[in-house]
Amino acid sequence: MNMHAQQPQRTGAETALLEAYDSRLSVLPGDGAVTVKRDNALEVLKAGLPTKRIEAWHYTDLRRLLTAVPQHDASAVADKLGALLDGSAVLPVLNGVSSANLPSVDGVRFERLEDKLRDGSFAPALEVQGTDDAIGALNAAFVADGYFVDIEADAEIAAPIELQNIQAGGQTHSRFPVRVGDRAKVTIVERQTGEGAGLSTSISHLTLGEGAEVLWIIVQDQPDDSTYLGQFNAALGKDSKLTLFFMNAGGRLVRQEVRVGTAGEGSDFQLRGINLLAGDTHTDVTMVLDHTKPHTGSRELIRNVVTGKARGVFQGRINVHQIAQKTDAKMACNTLLLSDDGEFSTKPELEIFADDVQCGHGATVKEIDHDHLFYLKARGIDEKTARGLLVKAFLAEVIEELEVEPIVEALEARLDQWFATHG
Amino acid sequence: MPAVQETIEQVRKIDVDQYKYGFETIIEMDKAPKGLSEETIRFISAKKNEPEWMLEWRLGAFRRWLTLEEPTWARVDYPKIDFQDIHYYAAPKNQSGPRSLDEVDPELLKVYEKLGIPLKEQEILAGVQKQPDGELDEANDNVYKSGRVAVDAVFDSVSVVTTFKKELAAAGVIFCSISEAIREHPDLVKKYLGSVVPTTDNFYATLNSAVFTDGSFVYVPKGVRCPMELSTYFRINEKNTGQFERTLIIAEEGAYVSYLEGCTAPQRDENQLHAAVVELIALDDAEIKYSTVQNWYPGDAQGKGGIYNFVTKRGDCRGDRSKISWTQVETGSAITWKYPSCILRGDDSRGEFYSIAVSNGYQQVDSGTKMIHLGKNTSSRIISKGIAAGFSQNTYRGQVSAHRKATNARNFTNCDSLLIGDQCGAHTVPYIEAKNSSAQFEHEATTSKISDDQKFYVMQRGIPEEEAIALIVNGFVKEVIQELPMEFAVEAQKLIGISLEGSVG
Repeated sequence: MNMHAQQPQRTGAETALLEAYDSRLSVLPGDGAVTVKRDNALEVLKAGLPTKRIEAWHYTDLRRLLTAVPQHDASAVADKLGALLDGSAVLPVLNGVSSANLPSVDGVRFERLEDKLRDGSFAPALEVQGTDDAIGALNAAFVADGYFVDIEADAEIAAPIELQNIQAGGQTHSRFPVRVGDRAKVTIVERQTGEGAGLSTSISHLTLGEGAEVLWIIVQDQPDDSTYLGQFNAALGKDSKLTLFFMNAGGRLVRQEVRVGTAGEGSDFQLRGINLLAGDTHTDVTMVLDHTKPHTGSRELIRNVVTGKARGVFQGRINVHQIAQKTDAKMACNTLLLSDDGEFSTKPELEIFADDVQCGHGATVKEIDHDHLFYLKARGIDEKTARGLLVKAFLAEVIEELEVEPIVEALEARLDQWFATHG
Repeated sequence: MPAVQETIEQVRKIDVDQYKYGFETIIEMDKAPKGLSEETIRFISAKKNEPEWMLEWRLGAFRRWLTLEEPTWARVDYPKIDFQDIHYYAAPKNQSGPRSLDEVDPELLKVYEKLGIPLKEQEILAGVQKQPDGELDEANDNVYKSGRVAVDAVFDSVSVVTTFKKELAAAGVIFCSISEAIREHPDLVKKYLGSVVPTTDNFYATLNSAVFTDGSFVYVPKGVRCPMELSTYFRINEKNTGQFERTLIIAEEGAYVSYLEGCTAPQRDENQLHAAVVELIALDDAEIKYSTVQNWYPGDAQGKGGIYNFVTKRGDCRGDRSKISWTQVETGSAITWKYPSCILRGDDSRGEFYSIAVSNGYQQVDSGTKMIHLGKNTSSRIISKGIAAGFSQNTYRGQVSAHRKATNARNFTNCDSLLIGDQCGAHTVPYIEAKNSSAQFEHEATTSKISDDQKFYVMQRGIPEEEAIALIVNGFVKEVIQELPMEFAVEAQKLIGISLEGSVG
């Protein structure tokens, strides 16, 4: 525990990242103010990747776990996917590059992020959020593209907007700032996938205007040899409502951060998440939720299934600021451990500075209930099928809460796909 | 509801910063010079007539300590401690170790009288009068039935008296100060000291290993159920001293012991450091029940003064089917940093943690437990109740982990926080780590204020508001109070009432 002896040598990955910066900087879009931000971010990286000593990374020692840092490969090819939901406007970022062919949707303005980096207008958003924001730093240093989505006030966008970030084995760093105007309504799907042992980071920034309503769905199914570091940020305006759903079903080393602030009175945040963990992988979901205004609510429900040698982590912190009276916040994290070599760690935190609040969290870790299993087996269902049914029921509950039929069906299809390979 | 009434009375009568144990006694003291060095450690060791191996053990810990840094992860905030500005040894003159009561300085006896240890306990302490028969026959508590509690009284750096030693010895139980144990029972001490909390454990435990001055030693032999409650009363009296006590309790196969601990200190403007280490060892089928009522001086209403209570307490369920239970009522100290833990090593072993942490004024509490499941079929239960009032910060920090081989590990955790006033904070930081598929962990936590519905329900039955709140608070902590031995339960209930004064109503 000797902390004097810190400041050890750089790891291979740390060195590779610093070298990548030297070689990439000249071709990354933006100069002046953007370069200043990139340099600032690099300073954070130079201090070293976070270890488990950094509380926010307690269960994901990035310095130890990040071993492979591939170079960006401009010649690699990634293909656009079919949309998860029919009729979606698809915005693909293929191997880190956005498409010039922007869809046209009434009430929505799309811009390529590369343009906003080139003209410097995106520079202020490249701020790193503190010294433990390794994902923010990595992304700010290297971000090359993405999309900016601006939704007009009062627009009700019927067709979902799908953001695809598809890596092709190299290093890619994308961003998706989305602004939703007052009283506007929209469904946004974010796909994080690809082929090959890539390293990809992706950051979304969502701002909700007064009374806006957003359903945001993240489906992450990276290949089992890739590293994915994602961050979702949202600021909720007065009386706005955000439902965020995520499904993690792949990746060798995955961290999905969720940072949400209820910036407006009466806003409401709902988080539903599923982690499907298999193989020799490490998946971390870390949420920080700030209740900063009175009369705000939040519910989080996370369900995890762990098989093989997978290691899963859920850290969820709810901060209730002193002025945020009448906060109503509940968080639950339930885990099914299906294999002896799998493990799951949970750290649900409450930090509360206001007295007139109702806050709670629950966490459970269990194996499949033997009584339930027996019940099904007694009806002539073989063990494997019975277990499959129970696990699926455990997860489907979270999906069904989304209530929109096509979305539920599409997500359950993803679930079945995962079971077909790992079940 | 006499207990509730009593709480109300206490609350009414006493000002927020009136700490009733805040007096100081003028007693001629023998002190080590200020500062910490190998010299200081040699001085302490010599004062205690310790064997060479003990001195080496201390020096080893000290050298290790020099390489450590003060931990900063807890949610507490205080100016840096100058470890060279503390007396590491302070003992009443002519009192190098516990003796018979007649030889104890009468001034010292007055201290214990004044401390409000109930008079009967005084008599018990003096060993002169038994509890009259039948006086408390309603209470079916062991303490009252036997009417006796054996007490080890620790005053600053030394144990001044230990009662009932003869009778305990007849049962085979060793109960003495740790200094005496080092001299009289070196084999036991050598075998177990540092085996649960090693000298390398953490900053404060390592410091304690280097400079501990006294504490209690309990050894309960195979198959023996300790015939009475054992108790230690810690008192810090001198200025600019730190108290570093070390307690070691060993329950051999099938043994049972219940141990109580209480503590107070004078009211002073400067902060004083208390860094204790407690080690419990339970072998096959043994059970140890450890209860604490912590009432160190918490500082005044402006947050000035008070004790820094940085304590390492850990129990090792080393044997199969062993059980260790921690119960704590934390109302004192300016800062509390304390995580009584259980290592569930033996198969079918069980750990329990019941805690009430009350903070008011500018107190900071960062407390909780660790349940480390290593053996098969181990189970643990955590009930933690935090009450924050005034400008205080109250944090529960706990860890539950099941290792690969801990088949069928079970845990249930419930930590609730109650906030009284909008200037205080309540925080929950649990770490839940499962590495075995048959592990079953359940954790729940809630934070709220006393709900208007609850209050309305009670008040509409004609109970005034203050009383209603006290009633609800008492209900909130009842689960933990019930785990305390009777005598402590009463004291604990009173303490909670006092601690919350100025915030209730």
